[in-house]
Amino acid sequence: MLSLVERERYLRQIPLLGEGGQERLRDAAVLIAGAGGLGSVCAQMCACAGFGKIRIVDNDVVERHNLNRQVLYAARDHGLFKVDVAARRLRENNPLISVEPVRETITRGSIGNLAKGIDVIIDGMDNYDARYILDDAAFGEGIPLVHGAVNGFYGQVSSVIPGKTPCLHCIVPHPPPSGNIPILGVTVGTVGSIQVAEAIKLVTGLGKPIAGRMLLWDGLMGEAEVIPVSRDPSCTRCNGRGVVP
Amino acid sequence: MKVRVKSFAILRQFLPRETEVEIKEGALVRDLLGLLVKQAPPLAAELFNEQGELKDFVNILLNGRNIHFISGLDSPLREGDLVALFPPAGGG
Repeated sequence: MLSLVERERYLRQIPLLGEGGQERLRDAAVLIAGAGGLGSVCAQMCACAGFGKIRIVDNDVVERHNLNRQVLYAARDHGLFKVDVAARRLRENNPLISVEPVRETITRGSIGNLAKGIDVIIDGMDNYDARYILDDAAFGEGIPLVHGAVNGFYGQVSSVIPGKTPCLHCIVPHPPPSGNIPILGVTVGTVGSIQVAEAIKLVTGLGKPIAGRMLLWDGLMGEAEVIPVSRDPSCTRCNGRGVVP
Repeated sequence: MKVRVKSFAILRQFLPRETEVEIKEGALVRDLLGLLVKQAPPLAAELFNEQGELKDFVNILLNGRNIHFISGLDSPLREGDLVALFPPAGGG
């Protein structure tokens, strides 16, 4: 049952999700991996939508050059740990949910605890070493992972679902070079919002996730295209279980 | 024979979003890339390293299947194939 306060807060989306869907969001725990550009958009959208528990993980502090795209932070937050500021902002935004900030780097050693009790992992990382750790945890624990990445005006989203889709290692077998990738706030806003739409769909069962497929966003053209993704036949993570469309 | 080529992300600076390419029967993905580079020489730096090898992070999907999982650049093309060139994004 939703409380009166919840009914009021979510009045404009309950017609979309149903009371049952809103309850499922309230009962869901999401891991936001990274509190940078994608992570701050995803965390904000998850809080607004009413995910009952948000665990947000990052080990960085706010720097001035983050502020063009990391919408949770203000100029006065310079030097503060991102997850602490994020938790404050998210709680201010939605006091009905629980926010757990974790000041940690995501490693093979830490991911087990971070993924415990989690229903959906959202990828807000800025490198594939960390993304592959999330992917392994997703497949190890049977938790869906909503992958997102950006570069300039371009971005990509794919929902990786253990037992149903190719894993991220198959979708992106070789990571692109890392470094100071140019990023614009509007790109993380678009891509992060699509990621949270995926998380909402995965939790409520609405619609059709971008699963076994990859959405490629082109902000310069103002268009998106969805392409199929394929499984590495020799992949030991999803071989025999992955579904190739 | 004709194959369709789609490009994504930064490759769209050098290639049309979608184009049809006339290529000889029995051509391989390698031949197709050679033809595309001939039409748009700056594309070479996006696709190949200094040794002339394909940059491994550039995903080339042949009818939805990554050529890394077929025969790489030696994957054969057939009439009507769809080749998608997709360099993944990495930032967050």
